Amino acid sequence: MVKSDIFLQFSVRKAYEGFTLDCAGRFKHRITAVFGPSGSGKTTLLNCVSGMLSPDDGDIEVDGAVVYSSSTGINMPPERRRFGYVFQQGALFPHMSVRQNVEYGYKLTPGSERQFEPDDLAYLLAISHLMDRGVGNLSGGERQRVALARALASSPRLLLMDEPLASLDAAHRASILTHLKSVSEQLGVPMVFVSHSLSEVLTLAPKMYALNAGKMVAYGSTPEIMAHPSVARIADYGTLENILRARVLEHDDEDGTSRLAIGDAVLVGPPTQSSPGESVSASIRSGDIILSLGAPPLTSARNAVPAVVRDVRETGGLALVYLDMGEMIVAEVTPGSARQLDLKRGRDVHLVIKTNSILTFTQDAG
Amino acid sequence: MLFETVALTLRVAIVATLLNLPLALALGWLVVKKRVRGAFILEVLASLPLAVPPVVVGYMLLLLLGRRGPIGSLVESSLGLEIAFTWIAAVLASAIVSFPLVARAVMTAMEEVDERLERSARTLGAGTVRVALTITLPLAHRGILAGVLLGFIRALSEFGATIIVAGNIPGKTQTIPLAIYDNIQLGRGEDTMFLVLVALALALATLAVHNWLLKRSRGRRA
Repeated sequence: MVKSDIFLQFSVRKAYEGFTLDCAGRFKHRITAVFGPSGSGKTTLLNCVSGMLSPDDGDIEVDGAVVYSSSTGINMPPERRRFGYVFQQGALFPHMSVRQNVEYGYKLTPGSERQFEPDDLAYLLAISHLMDRGVGNLSGGERQRVALARALASSPRLLLMDEPLASLDAAHRASILTHLKSVSEQLGVPMVFVSHSLSEVLTLAPKMYALNAGKMVAYGSTPEIMAHPSVARIADYGTLENILRARVLEHDDEDGTSRLAIGDAVLVGPPTQSSPGESVSASIRSGDIILSLGAPPLTSARNAVPAVVRDVRETGGLALVYLDMGEMIVAEVTPGSARQLDLKRGRDVHLVIKTNSILTFTQDAG
Repeated sequence: MLFETVALTLRVAIVATLLNLPLALALGWLVVKKRVRGAFILEVLASLPLAVPPVVVGYMLLLLLGRRGPIGSLVESSLGLEIAFTWIAAVLASAIVSFPLVARAVMTAMEEVDERLERSARTLGAGTVRVALTITLPLAHRGILAGVLLGFIRALSEFGATIIVAGNIPGKTQTIPLAIYDNIQLGRGEDTMFLVLVALALALATLAVHNWLLKRSRGRRA
Protein backbone atom coordinates (compact mmCIF):
# COMPACT_ATOMS: atom_id res chain seq x y z
CA MET A 1 0.00 0.00 0.00
CA VAL A 2 1.37 3.38 -0.95
CA LYS A 3 1.32 5.65 2.04
CA SER A 4 0.01 9.04 1.09
CA ASP A 5 1.78 11.96 2.71
CA ILE A 6 -1.57 13.25 3.92
CA PHE A 7 -1.97 11.60 7.29
CA LEU A 8 -5.31 13.09 8.24
CA GLN A 9 -8.10 14.27 5.99
CA PHE A 10 -11.46 15.30 7.38
CA SER A 11 -14.65 17.11 6.65
CA VAL A 12 -17.03 17.22 9.58
CA ARG A 13 -20.24 18.92 10.58
CA LYS A 14 -21.59 18.69 14.09
CA ALA A 15 -24.44 20.91 15.20
CA TYR A 16 -25.30 21.83 18.77
CA GLU A 17 -27.78 24.35 20.06
CA GLY A 18 -26.13 27.67 19.33
CA PHE A 19 -22.91 26.23 17.96
CA THR A 20 -22.01 24.35 14.80
CA LEU A 21 -18.65 22.89 13.93
CA ASP A 22 -18.33 22.78 10.17
CA CYS A 23 -14.84 22.46 8.83
CA ALA A 24 -12.54 20.43 6.60
CA GLY A 25 -8.80 19.95 6.39
CA ARG A 26 -5.93 17.89 5.03
CA PHE A 27 -2.98 17.60 7.39
CA LYS A 28 0.29 16.40 6.03
CA HIS A 29 2.92 18.00 8.17
CA ARG A 30 4.25 15.88 11.00
CA ILE A 31 3.00 18.30 13.61
CA THR A 32 -0.04 20.39 12.85
CA ALA A 33 -1.45 22.76 15.42
CA VAL A 34 -5.15 23.47 15.69
CA PHE A 35 -5.34 26.97 17.08
CA GLY A 36 -8.35 28.91 18.27
CA PRO A 37 -9.86 30.69 21.25
CA SER A 38 -11.83 28.63 23.76
CA GLY A 39 -15.23 27.68 22.42
CA SER A 40 -14.00 27.68 18.83
CA GLY A 41 -14.63 23.96 18.36
CA LYS A 42 -11.08 22.60 18.72
CA THR A 43 -12.01 19.91 21.22
CA THR A 44 -15.16 18.98 19.34
CA LEU A 45 -13.06 18.48 16.22
CA LEU A 46 -10.59 16.32 18.12
CA ASN A 47 -13.41 14.26 19.61
CA CYS A 48 -14.86 13.65 16.17
CA VAL A 49 -11.48 12.53 14.86
CA SER A 50 -10.83 10.25 17.83
CA GLY A 51 -14.29 8.67 17.55
CA MET A 52 -15.61 9.89 20.90
CA LEU A 53 -18.23 11.92 19.08
CA SER A 54 -20.02 11.07 15.87
CA PRO A 55 -20.32 14.00 13.49
CA ASP A 56 -23.73 14.71 12.00
CA ASP A 57 -22.13 14.14 8.67
CA GLY A 58 -18.76 14.11 7.00
CA ASP A 59 -15.76 11.91 6.31
CA ILE A 60 -12.57 11.21 8.22
CA GLU A 61 -9.60 9.38 6.73
CA VAL A 62 -6.30 8.52 8.34
CA ASP A 63 -3.42 7.35 6.18
CA GLY A 64 -5.90 6.82 3.37
CA ALA A 65 -8.11 4.53 5.50
CA VAL A 66 -11.67 5.64 6.19
CA VAL A 67 -12.51 5.71 9.89
CA TYR A 68 -15.77 7.63 9.55
CA SER A 69 -18.07 8.28 6.65
CA SER A 70 -21.65 9.38 6.97
CA SER A 71 -22.43 8.42 3.37
CA THR A 72 -21.32 4.79 3.68
CA GLY A 73 -22.20 4.45 7.35
CA ILE A 74 -18.65 3.60 8.45
CA ASN A 75 -17.99 4.62 12.05
CA MET A 76 -15.00 2.85 13.51
CA PRO A 77 -15.10 2.78 17.34
CA PRO A 78 -12.29 4.68 19.10
CA GLU A 79 -10.54 1.53 20.30
CA ARG A 80 -10.02 0.39 16.71
CA ARG A 81 -8.86 3.73 15.31
CA ARG A 82 -5.54 3.51 17.14
CA PHE A 83 -5.16 7.22 17.81
CA GLY A 84 -3.31 8.27 20.91
CA TYR A 85 -5.10 10.97 22.89
CA VAL A 86 -3.53 13.21 25.51
CA PHE A 87 -5.86 15.30 27.67
CA GLN A 88 -5.13 18.60 29.35
CA GLN A 89 -4.50 17.05 32.76
CA GLY A 90 -3.16 13.66 31.80
CA ALA A 91 -6.23 11.63 32.81
CA LEU A 92 -3.96 8.98 34.31
CA PHE A 93 -5.64 5.88 35.75
CA PRO A 94 -5.51 6.57 39.50
CA HIS A 95 -5.75 2.92 40.53
CA MET A 96 -2.66 1.89 38.58
CA SER A 97 1.08 2.49 38.89
CA VAL A 98 2.93 4.58 36.34
CA ARG A 99 4.11 1.38 34.66
CA GLN A 100 0.59 -0.07 34.52
CA ASN A 101 -0.61 3.17 32.98
CA VAL A 102 2.10 3.13 30.34
CA GLU A 103 1.57 -0.56 29.59
CA TYR A 104 -2.24 -0.40 29.43
CA GLY A 105 -2.44 0.26 25.71
CA TYR A 106 0.82 -1.55 24.95
CA LYS A 107 -0.67 -4.82 26.20
CA LEU A 108 -3.75 -4.32 24.03
CA THR A 109 -1.62 -3.79 20.92
CA PRO A 110 -0.90 -6.95 18.91
CA GLY A 111 2.82 -7.86 19.00
CA SER A 112 3.22 -7.33 15.27
CA GLU A 113 1.95 -3.74 15.53
CA ARG A 114 4.03 -2.67 18.51
CA GLN A 115 6.53 -0.03 17.49
CA PHE A 116 7.81 1.29 20.80
CA GLU A 117 8.76 -0.42 24.04
CA PRO A 118 7.47 1.10 27.29
CA ASP A 119 10.94 1.23 28.80
CA ASP A 120 12.38 3.06 25.79
CA LEU A 121 9.55 5.59 25.93
CA ALA A 122 10.10 6.01 29.66
CA TYR A 123 13.74 6.79 28.98
CA LEU A 124 12.94 9.22 26.17
CA LEU A 125 10.43 11.06 28.35
CA ALA A 126 12.58 10.93 31.50
CA ILE A 127 10.10 8.97 33.61
CA SER A 128 12.12 5.75 34.08
CA HIS A 129 12.64 6.55 37.75
CA LEU A 130 8.87 6.92 38.27
CA MET A 131 7.72 3.67 36.68
CA ASP A 132 7.03 1.77 39.89
CA ARG A 133 5.35 4.64 41.70
CA GLY A 134 1.67 5.39 41.98
CA VAL A 135 0.36 8.30 39.97
CA GLY A 136 -1.00 10.22 42.95
CA ASN A 137 2.05 12.28 43.80
CA LEU A 138 3.34 13.15 40.34
CA SER A 139 3.82 16.79 39.38
CA GLY A 140 1.88 18.26 36.47
CA GLY A 141 4.82 17.89 34.12
CA GLU A 142 5.43 14.29 35.16
CA ARG A 143 1.75 13.45 34.66
CA GLN A 144 1.84 14.80 31.12
CA ARG A 145 5.00 12.86 30.28
CA VAL A 146 3.41 9.66 31.62
CA ALA A 147 0.25 10.39 29.62
CA LEU A 148 2.37 10.91 26.53
CA ALA A 149 4.30 7.67 27.10
CA ARG A 150 1.03 5.81 27.68
CA ALA A 151 -0.44 7.10 24.41
CA LEU A 152 2.74 6.34 22.44
CA ALA A 153 3.07 2.83 23.90
CA SER A 154 -0.11 1.84 22.08
CA SER A 155 1.76 2.57 18.81
CA PRO A 156 -0.80 5.07 17.58
CA ARG A 157 -1.17 5.98 13.92
CA LEU A 158 -1.76 9.53 15.03
CA LEU A 159 -1.32 11.41 18.28
CA LEU A 160 -4.09 13.83 19.25
CA MET A 161 -3.31 16.30 22.01
CA ASP A 162 -5.92 18.56 23.55
CA GLU A 163 -4.24 21.53 25.25
CA PRO A 164 -1.65 19.23 26.86
CA LEU A 165 0.26 22.19 28.32
CA ALA A 166 -2.59 24.41 29.43
CA SER A 167 -2.51 23.40 33.08
CA LEU A 168 1.27 23.53 33.48
CA ASP A 169 3.50 26.29 34.78
CA ALA A 170 6.13 27.89 32.53
CA ALA A 171 8.97 25.55 33.49
CA HIS A 172 6.97 22.37 32.88
CA ARG A 173 5.51 23.79 29.71
CA ALA A 174 8.91 24.49 28.22
CA SER A 175 10.14 21.05 29.24
CA ILE A 176 7.16 19.20 27.71
CA LEU A 177 7.42 21.23 24.50
CA THR A 178 11.02 20.15 24.18
CA HIS A 179 10.07 16.55 24.87
CA LEU A 180 7.32 16.72 22.25
CA LYS A 181 9.83 17.98 19.72
CA SER A 182 12.15 15.06 20.37
CA VAL A 183 9.26 12.59 20.30
CA SER A 184 8.22 13.89 16.91
CA GLU A 185 11.78 13.85 15.57
CA GLN A 186 12.74 10.46 16.93
CA LEU A 187 9.52 8.48 16.66
CA GLY A 188 7.91 10.10 13.63
CA VAL A 189 4.34 9.76 14.93
CA PRO A 190 2.19 12.44 13.29
CA MET A 191 0.67 14.81 15.82
CA VAL A 192 -2.33 17.09 15.95
CA PHE A 193 -1.77 19.59 18.70
CA VAL A 194 -4.69 21.67 19.95
CA SER A 195 -3.76 24.91 21.63
CA HIS A 196 -4.92 28.43 22.26
CA SER A 197 -1.35 29.60 22.85
CA LEU A 198 0.55 31.07 19.92
CA SER A 199 3.86 30.51 21.72
CA GLU A 200 3.23 26.78 21.88
CA VAL A 201 2.15 26.63 18.27
CA LEU A 202 5.17 28.65 17.20
CA THR A 203 7.55 26.38 19.10
CA LEU A 204 6.14 23.08 18.03
CA ALA A 205 4.19 23.16 14.83
CA PRO A 206 5.38 24.19 11.39
CA LYS A 207 1.76 24.18 10.16
CA MET A 208 -1.26 25.65 11.81
CA TYR A 209 -4.99 25.38 11.30
CA ALA A 210 -6.94 28.24 12.83
CA LEU A 211 -10.53 27.73 13.96
CA ASN A 212 -12.99 30.33 15.09
CA ALA A 213 -16.67 29.85 15.95
CA GLY A 214 -16.65 26.35 14.46
CA LYS A 215 -15.19 27.39 11.10
CA MET A 216 -11.70 27.13 9.69
CA VAL A 217 -10.41 30.68 9.23
CA ALA A 218 -6.86 30.02 8.01
CA TYR A 219 -4.54 27.12 7.31
CA GLY A 220 -0.90 27.14 6.23
CA SER A 221 2.64 27.56 7.47
CA THR A 222 2.79 28.86 11.02
CA PRO A 223 4.64 32.16 10.34
CA GLU A 224 2.14 33.01 7.63
CA ILE A 225 -0.99 32.01 9.53
CA MET A 226 0.15 33.56 12.82
CA ALA A 227 0.02 36.97 11.18
CA HIS A 228 -3.14 36.26 9.17
CA PRO A 229 -5.76 38.99 9.68
CA SER A 230 -8.39 36.52 10.85
CA VAL A 231 -5.93 35.09 13.36
CA ALA A 232 -4.92 38.57 14.50
CA ARG A 233 -8.51 39.06 15.60
CA ILE A 234 -8.40 36.06 17.94
CA ALA A 235 -4.75 36.04 18.98
CA ASP A 236 -2.98 37.74 21.84
CA TYR A 237 0.47 38.64 20.54
CA GLY A 238 1.43 40.39 23.76
CA THR A 239 2.22 37.06 25.42
CA LEU A 240 4.19 35.67 22.50
CA GLU A 241 7.40 33.99 23.58
CA ASN A 242 10.06 31.90 21.89
CA ILE A 243 10.70 28.57 23.59
CA LEU A 244 14.05 27.30 22.39
CA ARG A 245 16.36 24.39 23.03
CA ALA A 246 19.62 25.52 24.58
CA ARG A 247 22.80 23.86 25.78
CA VAL A 248 24.67 25.08 28.83
CA LEU A 249 28.28 25.94 27.90
CA GLU A 250 29.72 27.28 31.14
CA HIS A 251 28.87 29.08 34.34
CA ASP A 252 30.44 32.35 35.36
CA ASP A 253 29.90 32.34 39.09
CA GLU A 254 31.57 35.70 39.62
CA ASP A 255 29.34 37.33 37.06
CA GLY A 256 26.27 35.32 38.09
CA THR A 257 25.51 34.23 34.55
CA SER A 258 25.58 31.14 32.35
CA ARG A 259 26.61 30.94 28.72
CA LEU A 260 24.07 29.17 26.54
CA ALA A 261 24.29 27.85 22.97
CA ILE A 262 21.04 28.41 21.07
CA GLY A 263 21.16 27.56 17.39
CA ASP A 264 24.40 29.07 16.08
CA ALA A 265 24.46 31.77 18.73
CA VAL A 266 26.03 31.94 22.16
CA LEU A 267 24.05 33.99 24.67
CA VAL A 268 24.72 35.18 28.16
CA GLY A 269 21.76 34.11 30.28
CA PRO A 270 20.87 33.99 33.95
CA PRO A 271 22.55 31.31 36.10
CA THR A 272 21.08 27.82 35.73
CA GLN A 273 21.08 24.73 37.92
CA SER A 274 22.13 22.52 34.99
CA SER A 275 25.76 21.52 34.47
CA PRO A 276 27.78 22.47 31.38
CA GLY A 277 26.89 20.16 28.50
CA GLU A 278 23.31 19.67 29.67
CA SER A 279 20.29 20.78 27.67
CA VAL A 280 17.82 23.31 28.99
CA SER A 281 14.82 25.12 27.57
CA ALA A 282 15.09 28.86 27.15
CA SER A 283 12.21 31.27 26.82
CA ILE A 284 12.55 34.74 25.32
CA ARG A 285 9.53 36.99 24.87
CA SER A 286 9.19 38.38 21.38
CA GLY A 287 8.55 41.83 22.74
CA ASP A 288 11.84 41.76 24.69
CA ILE A 289 14.00 41.45 21.58
CA ILE A 290 15.49 44.66 20.15
CA LEU A 291 16.63 44.67 16.52
CA SER A 292 19.66 46.62 15.43
CA LEU A 293 21.20 47.15 12.00
CA GLY A 294 24.88 46.28 12.38
CA ALA A 295 26.48 45.46 15.70
CA PRO A 296 25.26 47.95 18.28
CA PRO A 297 27.75 50.06 20.24
CA LEU A 298 28.25 49.01 23.83
CA THR A 299 24.90 48.73 25.63
CA SER A 300 23.88 47.39 29.00
CA ALA A 301 22.32 44.40 27.24
CA ARG A 302 24.83 41.57 27.22
CA ASN A 303 23.77 39.93 23.99
CA ALA A 304 24.03 41.19 20.41
CA VAL A 305 23.57 38.18 18.17
CA PRO A 306 23.75 38.26 14.37
CA ALA A 307 20.70 36.84 12.57
CA VAL A 308 19.06 36.97 9.16
CA VAL A 309 15.50 38.15 8.57
CA ARG A 310 13.47 35.36 7.00
CA ASP A 311 10.07 36.94 6.97
CA VAL A 312 8.21 40.03 8.16
CA ARG A 313 4.46 39.97 8.77
CA GLU A 314 2.46 42.99 9.77
CA THR A 315 -0.61 42.29 11.80
CA GLY A 316 -2.84 43.95 14.32
CA GLY A 317 -0.72 47.08 14.77
CA LEU A 318 2.60 45.29 15.07
CA ALA A 319 5.15 43.51 12.92
CA LEU A 320 6.30 39.95 13.58
CA VAL A 321 9.87 39.48 12.40
CA TYR A 322 11.01 35.88 11.85
CA LEU A 323 14.74 35.64 12.34
CA ASP A 324 17.21 32.85 11.72
CA MET A 325 20.06 32.41 14.19
CA GLY A 326 20.42 28.70 13.55
CA GLU A 327 17.03 28.37 15.28
CA MET A 328 14.00 30.39 14.25
CA ILE A 329 13.12 33.17 16.65
CA VAL A 330 10.36 35.77 16.44
CA ALA A 331 10.72 39.39 17.43
CA GLU A 332 7.86 41.82 17.80
CA VAL A 333 8.40 45.42 16.67
CA THR A 334 6.12 48.26 15.65
CA PRO A 335 5.32 48.54 11.93
CA GLY A 336 7.04 51.93 12.06
CA SER A 337 10.37 50.56 13.18
CA ALA A 338 10.07 47.70 10.70
CA ARG A 339 9.84 50.30 7.93
CA GLN A 340 12.54 52.53 9.40
CA LEU A 341 15.00 49.64 9.57
CA ASP A 342 13.79 48.48 6.16
CA LEU A 343 13.31 44.98 7.53
CA LYS A 344 12.77 42.47 4.76
CA ARG A 345 13.72 38.97 3.82
CA GLY A 346 17.50 38.42 3.71
CA ARG A 347 18.44 41.49 5.75
CA ASP A 348 21.24 41.00 8.30
CA VAL A 349 20.45 42.35 11.74
CA HIS A 350 21.60 41.95 15.32
CA LEU A 351 19.29 40.79 18.08
CA VAL A 352 19.85 42.72 21.29
CA ILE A 353 18.69 40.70 24.26
CA LYS A 354 19.13 41.43 27.96
CA THR A 355 20.38 38.62 30.17
CA ASN A 356 17.29 38.89 32.33
CA SER A 357 14.99 38.57 29.33
CA ILE A 358 16.13 34.98 28.98
CA LEU A 359 14.43 32.43 31.23
CA THR A 360 15.91 28.96 31.45
CA PHE A 361 14.20 25.76 32.54
CA THR A 362 15.80 22.40 33.18
CA GLN A 363 14.57 19.79 30.69
CA ASP A 364 13.16 17.27 33.08
CA ALA A 365 11.66 19.93 35.31
CA GLY A 366 9.36 18.20 37.80
CA MET B 1 -36.85 -20.75 66.38
CA LEU B 2 -35.26 -17.36 66.93
CA PHE B 3 -32.06 -18.46 65.22
CA GLU B 4 -34.08 -19.88 62.35
CA THR B 5 -35.74 -16.50 62.00
CA VAL B 6 -32.37 -14.76 61.91
CA ALA B 7 -31.03 -17.27 59.35
CA LEU B 8 -34.12 -16.88 57.16
CA THR B 9 -33.85 -13.10 57.33
CA LEU B 10 -30.20 -13.19 56.30
CA ARG B 11 -30.96 -15.59 53.46
CA VAL B 12 -33.81 -13.42 52.16
CA ALA B 13 -31.73 -10.23 52.37
CA ILE B 14 -28.65 -11.79 50.76
CA VAL B 15 -30.56 -13.30 47.84
CA ALA B 16 -32.49 -10.05 47.33
CA THR B 17 -29.22 -8.08 47.27
CA LEU B 18 -27.54 -10.52 44.88
CA LEU B 19 -30.54 -10.16 42.60
CA ASN B 20 -30.38 -6.36 42.74
CA LEU B 21 -26.67 -5.88 42.09
CA PRO B 22 -26.50 -7.02 38.44
CA LEU B 23 -29.73 -5.16 37.68
CA ALA B 24 -28.43 -1.97 39.28
CA LEU B 25 -25.12 -2.25 37.41
CA ALA B 26 -26.95 -2.73 34.12
CA LEU B 27 -29.22 0.22 34.85
CA GLY B 28 -26.28 2.40 35.87
CA TRP B 29 -24.46 1.52 32.67
CA LEU B 30 -27.46 2.37 30.51
CA VAL B 31 -28.35 5.59 32.30
CA VAL B 32 -24.95 7.02 33.27
CA LYS B 33 -22.53 5.74 30.64
CA LYS B 34 -24.60 4.94 27.57
CA ARG B 35 -27.10 7.76 28.25
CA VAL B 36 -29.75 5.82 26.40
CA ARG B 37 -32.95 7.40 25.23
CA GLY B 38 -35.50 7.25 28.03
CA ALA B 39 -32.80 7.28 30.70
CA PHE B 40 -34.85 9.80 32.64
CA ILE B 41 -37.86 7.48 32.73
CA LEU B 42 -35.68 4.54 33.77
CA GLU B 43 -34.25 6.59 36.63
CA VAL B 44 -37.70 7.61 37.85
CA LEU B 45 -39.02 4.04 37.65
CA ALA B 46 -35.97 2.73 39.48
CA SER B 47 -36.63 5.10 42.38
CA LEU B 48 -40.38 4.54 42.48
CA PRO B 49 -40.38 1.85 45.23
CA LEU B 50 -38.68 4.40 47.48
CA ALA B 51 -41.58 6.79 47.05
CA VAL B 52 -44.61 4.52 47.45
CA PRO B 53 -45.64 2.89 50.74
CA PRO B 54 -44.17 -0.63 50.95
CA VAL B 55 -47.67 -2.05 51.45
CA VAL B 56 -48.53 -0.76 47.99
CA VAL B 57 -45.50 -2.61 46.57
CA GLY B 58 -46.67 -5.71 48.46
CA TYR B 59 -50.20 -5.41 47.17
CA MET B 60 -49.08 -4.97 43.56
CA LEU B 61 -46.78 -7.95 43.91
CA LEU B 62 -49.65 -9.96 45.31
CA LEU B 63 -51.77 -9.03 42.30
CA LEU B 64 -49.00 -10.24 39.99
CA LEU B 65 -47.80 -13.28 41.91
CA GLY B 66 -51.03 -14.51 43.48
CA ARG B 67 -52.73 -17.62 42.18
CA ARG B 68 -54.93 -15.62 39.88
CA GLY B 69 -52.26 -13.09 38.95
CA PRO B 70 -50.64 -13.24 35.52
CA ILE B 71 -47.22 -14.38 36.77
CA GLY B 72 -48.48 -16.50 39.65
CA SER B 73 -50.89 -18.47 37.46
CA LEU B 74 -48.25 -18.95 34.75
CA VAL B 75 -45.66 -20.29 37.20
CA GLU B 76 -48.19 -22.52 38.86
CA SER B 77 -49.45 -24.05 35.62
CA SER B 78 -45.99 -24.56 34.12
CA LEU B 79 -43.87 -25.48 37.14
CA GLY B 80 -46.50 -26.41 39.66
CA LEU B 81 -45.05 -23.91 42.11
CA GLU B 82 -46.58 -21.20 44.19
CA ILE B 83 -44.70 -17.98 44.76
CA ALA B 84 -46.99 -15.94 46.97
CA PHE B 85 -46.59 -16.72 50.67
CA THR B 86 -43.21 -18.43 50.18
CA TRP B 87 -39.72 -17.17 51.04
CA ILE B 88 -39.28 -16.37 47.32
CA ALA B 89 -42.05 -13.81 47.65
CA ALA B 90 -40.24 -12.35 50.66
CA VAL B 91 -37.08 -12.13 48.53
CA LEU B 92 -38.91 -10.34 45.72
CA ALA B 93 -40.59 -7.92 48.12
CA SER B 94 -37.27 -7.02 49.80
CA ALA B 95 -35.50 -6.81 46.46
CA ILE B 96 -37.99 -4.36 44.99
CA VAL B 97 -38.16 -2.17 48.07
CA SER B 98 -34.36 -2.00 48.42
CA PHE B 99 -33.57 -1.67 44.70
CA PRO B 100 -33.72 2.16 44.58
CA LEU B 101 -31.02 2.41 47.25
CA VAL B 102 -28.68 0.08 45.36
CA ALA B 103 -29.42 1.64 41.98
CA ARG B 104 -28.95 5.22 43.15
CA ALA B 105 -25.65 4.42 44.84
CA VAL B 106 -24.38 2.55 41.78
CA MET B 107 -25.36 5.44 39.50
CA THR B 108 -23.62 7.98 41.74
CA ALA B 109 -20.50 5.83 41.94
CA MET B 110 -20.40 5.46 38.16
CA GLU B 111 -21.00 9.16 37.60
CA GLU B 112 -18.04 9.96 39.82
CA VAL B 113 -15.65 8.07 37.55
CA ASP B 114 -14.03 10.73 35.36
CA GLU B 115 -15.23 10.18 31.82
CA ARG B 116 -11.83 11.17 30.46
CA LEU B 117 -10.34 8.04 32.04
CA GLU B 118 -12.80 5.86 30.17
CA ARG B 119 -12.16 7.78 26.97
CA SER B 120 -8.41 7.40 27.39
CA ALA B 121 -8.84 3.67 27.81
CA ARG B 122 -10.93 3.53 24.63
CA THR B 123 -8.28 5.32 22.59
CA LEU B 124 -5.68 2.95 24.05
CA GLY B 125 -7.53 0.06 22.45
CA ALA B 126 -9.97 -1.13 25.12
CA GLY B 127 -13.52 -1.99 24.06
CA THR B 128 -16.52 -1.02 26.21
CA VAL B 129 -16.55 -4.26 28.22
CA ARG B 130 -12.84 -4.01 28.99
CA VAL B 131 -13.25 -0.34 29.95
CA ALA B 132 -16.04 -1.34 32.34
CA LEU B 133 -13.97 -4.13 33.90
CA THR B 134 -10.60 -2.37 34.13
CA ILE B 135 -11.55 1.28 34.66
CA THR B 136 -15.16 1.96 35.66
CA LEU B 137 -15.78 -0.90 38.09
CA PRO B 138 -12.41 -0.78 39.88
CA LEU B 139 -12.80 2.97 40.39
CA ALA B 140 -16.46 2.78 41.38
CA HIS B 141 -16.24 -0.37 43.48
CA ARG B 142 -16.34 1.27 46.88
CA GLY B 143 -19.43 3.29 46.04
CA ILE B 144 -21.07 0.23 44.52
CA LEU B 145 -20.29 -1.88 47.57
CA ALA B 146 -21.64 0.86 49.81
CA GLY B 147 -24.89 0.77 47.81
CA VAL B 148 -25.05 -2.99 48.10
CA LEU B 149 -24.73 -2.73 51.89
CA LEU B 150 -27.38 -0.03 52.09
CA GLY B 151 -29.70 -2.23 50.03
CA PHE B 152 -28.85 -5.16 52.27
CA ILE B 153 -29.88 -3.36 55.48
CA ARG B 154 -33.04 -2.13 53.83
CA ALA B 155 -33.83 -5.71 52.79
CA LEU B 156 -33.19 -6.91 56.36
CA SER B 157 -35.70 -4.39 57.69
CA GLU B 158 -38.38 -4.97 55.09
CA PHE B 159 -41.83 -5.30 56.63
CA GLY B 160 -44.76 -3.77 54.77
CA ALA B 161 -44.42 -5.39 51.37
CA THR B 162 -43.32 -8.71 52.84
CA ILE B 163 -46.29 -9.15 55.18
CA ILE B 164 -48.72 -8.63 52.28
CA VAL B 165 -47.17 -10.87 49.63
CA ALA B 166 -45.27 -13.41 51.77
CA GLY B 167 -47.42 -13.47 54.85
CA ASN B 168 -46.11 -13.97 58.36
CA ILE B 169 -45.52 -17.70 58.53
CA PRO B 170 -43.05 -18.70 61.28
CA GLY B 171 -40.13 -20.73 59.91
CA LYS B 172 -41.22 -20.06 56.32
CA THR B 173 -41.62 -16.37 55.62
CA GLN B 174 -41.32 -14.79 59.04
CA THR B 175 -38.28 -12.51 58.97
CA ILE B 176 -36.94 -10.53 61.95
CA PRO B 177 -39.24 -7.49 61.58
CA LEU B 178 -42.31 -9.73 61.23
CA ALA B 179 -41.26 -11.86 64.19
CA ILE B 180 -40.76 -8.75 66.32
CA TYR B 181 -44.24 -7.62 65.38
CA ASP B 182 -45.69 -11.02 66.37
CA ASN B 183 -43.76 -11.15 69.62
CA ILE B 184 -44.91 -7.69 70.61
CA GLN B 185 -48.51 -8.66 69.88
CA LEU B 186 -48.12 -11.81 71.97
CA GLY B 187 -46.34 -9.96 74.77
CA ARG B 188 -43.12 -12.05 74.55
CA GLY B 189 -40.74 -9.45 75.93
CA GLU B 190 -37.55 -11.51 75.98
CA ASP B 191 -37.85 -12.79 72.43
CA THR B 192 -38.72 -9.30 71.26
CA MET B 193 -35.67 -7.83 72.94
CA PHE B 194 -33.37 -10.52 71.49
CA LEU B 195 -34.58 -9.84 67.94
CA VAL B 196 -34.44 -6.09 68.44
CA LEU B 197 -30.83 -6.38 69.56
CA VAL B 198 -29.97 -8.60 66.57
CA ALA B 199 -31.59 -6.09 64.22
CA LEU B 200 -29.69 -3.21 65.83
CA ALA B 201 -26.38 -5.08 65.71
CA LEU B 202 -26.80 -5.99 62.05
CA ALA B 203 -27.74 -2.42 61.17
CA LEU B 204 -24.85 -0.89 63.10
CA ALA B 205 -22.27 -3.25 61.63
CA THR B 206 -23.52 -2.77 58.08
CA LEU B 207 -23.75 1.00 58.41
CA ALA B 208 -20.26 1.23 59.88
CA VAL B 209 -18.77 -0.63 56.91
CA HIS B 210 -20.94 1.40 54.53
CA ASN B 211 -19.76 4.74 55.90
CA TRP B 212 -16.15 3.61 56.01
CA LEU B 213 -16.33 2.62 52.33
CA LEU B 214 -17.87 5.92 51.30
CA LYS B 215 -15.28 7.85 53.23
CA ARG B 216 -12.47 5.95 51.53
CA SER B 217 -13.93 6.42 48.07
CA ARG B 218 -14.15 10.18 48.71
CA GLY B 219 -10.58 10.24 50.00
CA ARG B 220 -9.33 8.66 46.83
CA ARG B 221 -10.86 11.31 44.62
CA ALA B 222 -9.51 14.23 46.56
